[in-house]
Amino acid sequence: MSRKLYILLSLLVAVSMLLAACGAPAAEEPAVTEEAAASTGGETAAEPTFSGTATITFVQEPDSLNPLYTSMFFSGITRDFWLKGMWSFDNNNEPVLEIAAEVPSADNGGLSADGTTIVYKLRDDVFWSDGEPVTADDFVFTYDMIMSDANVVQSRYPYEDYVTSVTATDPQTVTVTFSEPFAAWLTTVFNYVLPKHVLQPVFDAEGTLDNAEWNKAPTVGVGPFVFSEWESGSHLIFTANPAWVNTPSLEQVFIRIVPDDAAQEAAIVAGDTDIGVFLSSDQIPTLEADGTVDVVAVSSGYDEGWFMNVNPETAHPAMLDVNVRKAVALATDRFTIINDLLDASINPVNATFWDGTAPYGGNVEPYPYDPEQAKALLDAAGWVDSNGDGTRDKDGVELVLRYITNTRELRKNVQAVVQQQWSLVGIGAQLENYSSDVFWNGYNDGGPQAQGIYDIAEYSSVGSFPDPEASANFLCSEISSADNPDGANWQGICDEELDALLNEQAVTLDVNKRIDLYHQIGQLMFDKVYYIGVWLDPDLWSINSRLQNVTLSGATPFWNAHEWTVAP
Amino acid sequence: MSTYILRRLGQAIPQLFIISIILFMLMQAFGDPVATLGARTPPKPEDKERLRRMLGLDQPPYMQYITWLVGNDWQQLDMDGDGVPETNGSRKGILRGDWGNSLVTRRPVMEMIGERLPNTLILMVTAEIIIIGLSLVIGLYSALRPYSFFDNLITGLSFVGFSMPVFWLALSLMYLFAVNFRRWGLPYLPTVGMFDPAVGKTPWELIKHMVLPVSTLAIISIAGYSRFVRSSVLEVLSQDYVRTARSKGVASRFVVWKHALPNAALPFITLIGLDIPFLLAGAVVTERIFAWPGMGRLFIDHTERADFPMLMGILMLISIAVVVFQIITDVVYSLVDPRIRLN
Amino acid sequence: MSNPSDSTPIAGFSSSGDQVIVPLTPTQLAIRRFRKHRMANIGLFILGFILVYISFGSLLSRGYCAPLQTDLTGEAYANCNDTKLKLQPPSKDHIFGTDVIGRDIFARTIYGGQISVLIGISAAIFEVVLGMLIGAIAAYYGGWIDNLLMRFTEAMLNIPSLFLLIIGARFFGGGLPTINFFGRELTGSVIIIIVIIGLTSWMYLARIVRANILSLRERDYVSASRALGASDARIIFSHLLPNTIAPLVVSATLGVASAIISEAYVSFLGLGVQGSTATWGNMLDGAYQYLEKAPWLWFFPGTLILLIVLGINFVGDGLRDALDPYSTRHV
Repeated sequence: MSRKLYILLSLLVAVSMLLAACGAPAAEEPAVTEEAAASTGGETAAEPTFSGTATITFVQEPDSLNPLYTSMFFSGITRDFWLKGMWSFDNNNEPVLEIAAEVPSADNGGLSADGTTIVYKLRDDVFWSDGEPVTADDFVFTYDMIMSDANVVQSRYPYEDYVTSVTATDPQTVTVTFSEPFAAWLTTVFNYVLPKHVLQPVFDAEGTLDNAEWNKAPTVGVGPFVFSEWESGSHLIFTANPAWVNTPSLEQVFIRIVPDDAAQEAAIVAGDTDIGVFLSSDQIPTLEADGTVDVVAVSSGYDEGWFMNVNPETAHPAMLDVNVRKAVALATDRFTIINDLLDASINPVNATFWDGTAPYGGNVEPYPYDPEQAKALLDAAGWVDSNGDGTRDKDGVELVLRYITNTRELRKNVQAVVQQQWSLVGIGAQLENYSSDVFWNGYNDGGPQAQGIYDIAEYSSVGSFPDPEASANFLCSEISSADNPDGANWQGICDEELDALLNEQAVTLDVNKRIDLYHQIGQLMFDKVYYIGVWLDPDLWSINSRLQNVTLSGATPFWNAHEWTVAP
Repeated sequence: MSTYILRRLGQAIPQLFIISIILFMLMQAFGDPVATLGARTPPKPEDKERLRRMLGLDQPPYMQYITWLVGNDWQQLDMDGDGVPETNGSRKGILRGDWGNSLVTRRPVMEMIGERLPNTLILMVTAEIIIIGLSLVIGLYSALRPYSFFDNLITGLSFVGFSMPVFWLALSLMYLFAVNFRRWGLPYLPTVGMFDPAVGKTPWELIKHMVLPVSTLAIISIAGYSRFVRSSVLEVLSQDYVRTARSKGVASRFVVWKHALPNAALPFITLIGLDIPFLLAGAVVTERIFAWPGMGRLFIDHTERADFPMLMGILMLISIAVVVFQIITDVVYSLVDPRIRLN
Repeated sequence: MSNPSDSTPIAGFSSSGDQVIVPLTPTQLAIRRFRKHRMANIGLFILGFILVYISFGSLLSRGYCAPLQTDLTGEAYANCNDTKLKLQPPSKDHIFGTDVIGRDIFARTIYGGQISVLIGISAAIFEVVLGMLIGAIAAYYGGWIDNLLMRFTEAMLNIPSLFLLIIGARFFGGGLPTINFFGRELTGSVIIIIVIIGLTSWMYLARIVRANILSLRERDYVSASRALGASDARIIFSHLLPNTIAPLVVSATLGVASAIISEAYVSFLGLGVQGSTATWGNMLDGAYQYLEKAPWLWFFPGTLILLIVLGINFVGDGLRDALDPYSTRHV
């Protein structure tokens, strides 16, 4: 017993010393870090040496590391370090080639004339971290695993609906055929690839990948870093991968799991972390106070907005009148809200759902704050305060709107401020908050949005960033109901003109034409007030000046992690 | 004795059944586990529909309960969505040791609890040792000087400790010893986590990070426990045999150590034994505030995702611990106290 | 606390020798013991202070509301938000400071206090009624009903109550219409919280009631009324329950304290009372993100919770000693 304890203790001490050595800034103990690098880097002296650790805080722990089984944000951004796809996206949302040798286009013959066949050419110098080459077979395997009924994968989008086959023409060529032209192919197909040589044996032996050890400890990957350790609730460690084409300069990436924003803020201020994410703009002064931390806003397409329920069967009768909806927009001083509660330069009021997804947003100006015009519109629409209770009414129905959102504190605060603003024009507000899992529940689970038990729902949303695709949310055929419980249109929008535009853009491969279509869609939704923008909601990242060459992007934030260095 | 234990176990099993049924019914109130899947936007409708089917979430609640309890490897499931069951189920059910898989991480519930349980235990055991030690000392001290200034002070303080919401105490401690001490340039304590990644997981780091959460847990429990010790010692001291011993001239200290303490310890043991499993639960708020990667935080995190196999696992584990500790306490009690005969 | 049963003179006898002995009723005795209980008196003082604070304090809730450009009083002022004044430290205008959207924390602690106390008392009443019913039914009918109810009670007791609260808050969470209570607009979630706290805390009471009734059931007067043909309900309500009143009063009093704490816990975890209705609990929601920047956010409501719970615990302890001097004490 005591012997075991002794061994355990000494192991603990040894491990902690090792960690201490790895975690120490390079400047202080260069000798130790070089040793550590040499011991992990390989046997030959010719191997490149790595130095420094980048520490990143996550406010949520990744669910799984296998992309088959998670669509969670933090799992996704972790992949930028260790599991690349065909390409990443840089800070201008332009593709940066990773495994693919070129972006398929009509010019290079990768994109067929009818838009249904795409040929991906792979580089021949990309290897898995264990030295195996990455080939077309890996991509076919990935597709097979996604579509296999033996794997309970998180998402088959877009493969299930749009892709008819994936074949390996030769080791360096993957051919994907689509059932119809698919506009969002660039951003949604093959964002990751699975190592066939590692996972095929597991699949053969267990009949599924659901319980593969690789899901939690993916020791083989393809990226500038390779997985090394994951301690639940505490941290993940990735170490430099000398086999990657773009050799990284850092020795390791340490991802620290913190439970909440306050803990993350403390870690950033104390300099314990180099990169933090999901910050709010009211934290900026505190974070940037001593000049070593820079907060940058990177759009990943999210805009905070109001989704207006216009379903005649569930909405407040006033909501069906476009002028009342317009009055709601005019009666809300969103400009004061962003000024006082957020940062007006980072979170300006947006006008359309796509304002964060440049260039699809267009140049629509948001409705101004004009309570007098709002009153006039409401008067004209017949909503007047006939019983003198301070709230307008019509035909015995009070103009009290159910304004719902989740339990996030900022949203609760905005609700209270808006309630007061509306009271000035005689619109009543019934505020409701749901825990997130209930808020997003489907129709059959009594989801308040899906069942239309609301008039205005506030949340932050996005299409398939950097692609704008979000048609299902607004198509008439997607209205959720008892007959169509999984319908994604929770607003009950049924607008022929909008349907036609949305259906056209989905099959339009010409980028400029598609941008133009989206401008029309945005303008239409603005004029009909199906959506009221509240503020642009870019991701706020903190970067400590200790870590250099960090250029974050919206879709694949850590796309240039191999270029990161730690200041000497 | 062994018949007694067997009988108690026989009673415990139906009780655990009832608990599991109550819990499972409550779990139905949680949101849809596939509503967000942790992503920032809801998943595609067809993915939700498929996942519900593959994960068995489309089954009626009683079938889900049966699967959870005895597994589904005796039936065929429809994995490909053509409406015809064709695949053999793979769940074995909790009765055969399969606690299910988390809907969030897809990993076995027991494996995930196993990763967090040691962290909770290290916090709890330390806190419990401090609680028992200090409440014995304080309780005994005030019992020997009843109604003295010290006794009254302790009484007043214990009521304050007892009335304090855990999170308020935790916040106050953090504000004083972490925030203000740093502001004043004093050596300050870390607020969150188990260790500082820049330093590593050294024993010293662990101790530093444990001070505040352990103090929080201890302050609140010591209050109640020391009062309990005090009143049981007082009760024993007023009993005839102690008075007799005293009147026969037995030294006061001897009386206390030989008679009063062992007898007063009995109800204390009971109390501790019954409370220990609840301590596991009591750590929820403490772990939440101090970001301790234990079971309590696991529970909170997975509550938000409606991960019911995970929640069922944690709650059943605690319930089993409660029942087992009740039996152990009874048995220990009977071993220590010759007056009690089981059966 | 001092133990009054040690020092109180033997019931009914005056210590001063040959005067006429006036026997005291049990109620008078209890009052006398209670008044001699030092902690209980401190507790009463604290509770009195808080009651004055949350009732007459509302007279001080008045001020100019810039966004609405009017002077406001009462709850309207407590709900007035002026984002220009967010997170102001305590000052002359806002003696407890302002919160994240510039509401006056002093005014909100007053109106929040009213709701918290309302929740505490209602939840305790709900808990007592539920506990009494279940305990009485189990004890009176015995047999399989007793067995079933007690197994259920035990099962509920074996689930840590905080978990029950968290799950319960989700079970009933969500949108309920706003209701009007004595001229105040309360969001439906107030009712939900009351119900949840009541539903998760009745178990000890049910056990106490059952044990008491079991011992009373076989007494002569119960057999007598049964022989006289009294109905079950009449026996339970007019004979059995009144005789278990002492432990009930104590439990109910302490129940108010634990309900107020429970409300705070649920709110702390973000599942509490929603909407603009303030409670001490939901004022703390999210406040710990401002641990360092704005300690006044959590300090004032937190301290008020501590005070009221402390007061109730003191009083409850006094009541226990007063009503049942021979009860063994469990802390």
